Amino acid sequence: MTDFLKGYDIQYWLESAPQGYLMETEYGHGEKEREPELVLEDPTLREQAIRTTVQLVVGERCALAASSGLINAAPDEASKRFLATQTLDEARHVEVFTHRLYDLGVKKSELESVISQFANPHLVHFAEALLEKVDQKDFIAGVVGQNVILEGMAFNVFEMMHAGNKEANPKFGHTLAGTIADERRHVGFGENRIGGLIREHPERKGDIEKLQREMSYHMLATFGDSFRNGPSPEQVGQIMREHGQEPQASEQEWQGVKLGQANPEELEAVLSDTILKEFKIRLERIGIEYQTPTAP
Amino acid sequence: MSGPAEHDPHALTPEAFRAEVHSFEFWFGAVQGYLADRAYGHRVDAKDAAPEGADRDRLVTALCNYCVGETAALEGAGGLIEVAPNRPTKIFLSTQAVDEGRHLEVLIHRLRELGVEDPEAEIARRANPSLLAFKRRLLELVKGGDWNAALFAQNVILEAMEFAVFHQHAAEADPITREVLEGIIKDERRHIGFGENELGRRIKADPGIRGHLALVRRELDALVLETFEEALASLGAPASAREDLGRSYRQTVERLGFA
Repeated sequence: MTDFLKGYDIQYWLESAPQGYLMETEYGHGEKEREPELVLEDPTLREQAIRTTVQLVVGERCALAASSGLINAAPDEASKRFLATQTLDEARHVEVFTHRLYDLGVKKSELESVISQFANPHLVHFAEALLEKVDQKDFIAGVVGQNVILEGMAFNVFEMMHAGNKEANPKFGHTLAGTIADERRHVGFGENRIGGLIREHPERKGDIEKLQREMSYHMLATFGDSFRNGPSPEQVGQIMREHGQEPQASEQEWQGVKLGQANPEELEAVLSDTILKEFKIRLERIGIEYQTPTAP
Repeated sequence: MSGPAEHDPHALTPEAFRAEVHSFEFWFGAVQGYLADRAYGHRVDAKDAAPEGADRDRLVTALCNYCVGETAALEGAGGLIEVAPNRPTKIFLSTQAVDEGRHLEVLIHRLRELGVEDPEAEIARRANPSLLAFKRRLLELVKGGDWNAALFAQNVILEAMEFAVFHQHAAEADPITREVLEGIIKDERRHIGFGENELGRRIKADPGIRGHLALVRRELDALVLETFEEALASLGAPASAREDLGRSYRQTVERLGFA
């Protein structure tokens, strides 16, 4: 355990994140990068950007509360130190995505009401269930909920969003790239640390599988709602023409699907397939058998 | 980077302080100034001139107890995030949590450099009973959710205690230990500044808080002074050093307005 945790120490974190991929960034992106004019000018695209960003803020607030609470539940000091870095990563994510809401024109005085208006109820349920485990100082359930389910499933969504934005909105794409790099570290820690703990505590397997079944339902329901609320490629094309821009079919691909041309149903299907495929692999690595999500 | 490397939070108005120094961006700029060329808290090419024999053993005891204090600070800062009254404060405390985690890490690394093979076991063996009692009480205050009392215990009492001890130790330490301690002291200044500003603003709005904090201080002062006594006795320090340390701690707390 000690050797694996060496790769998650604060010195490594300092060199790879603040002194690595976050150098020359400001609130997660290049100093001169701005949101595209079209997103700021068109009410449909702006609302969609706000709605998406609100889910990121809600998820990251949950992750901040969970990772800080887990510091005191961790069974060893090396895990406590890793969780301190994760706590700061999550706080940074809260900060950069909140800042994006301001960049999208949300006033500081309206922040909480905008978040309440757009927060997905499934994501809020997920956060409540996770924080209940953290309050109980249940380290295994807390890390599975936070680092494997929340971050493991969100990881694919972030990757897809990054692929779709890196050309169309480099500012947001840049912010997502830094977040993905952080998440990769968190998911790795979760898989490595929890795998060992499940082997030490096989009696926990049953309740962790039940937790996975309930929590992953809320995550998938959140993703599904996000796609159903989003504009189709035709609507985006129409908006662009209304603003005097000629839509150009994006060739950006993710998992073999052209992101700028796929409809919301196709995107939801490919995302669900990818998430579930990778999620099952992650669960196998920690010794948990995947349970088909059901409404709790 | 929006945060200047050398910046005195005490010079800011409460509003400017909150807007500027609570952010990850400020922390990022601040630590880059003094951690950029360091690995585990000291320059990579710094020559080690660690003490030998009994002096080395005393240094190990001191570092083990610093690890107890930093573990208390790490768990305290992590718990305070839940209690914090607003998001910017939660974000500041997340930077403090990683600072405290870093302190623990660099101190453990220094123990290994001094030849301690199992720092965890050594820390448990050499931990000072008064410091452990302080840690328990601090975490009770954090768990109780009393923001004013818990923040006072963590960011004023504990940080002032560490500040006084590290400052005195750094003045006479070997070069690597001195660099490690000086980096920690720079972080502690930021934490103390935050506690002073946050509590100062609250006391201004509700002067009754001062009486509550005086009670907390009375209880914890006894543990702090016992900790100094035990730590310095184990280091073989003269009585005058204990008096100096106690005076330095009291002056720090009183300078912050918590007489």
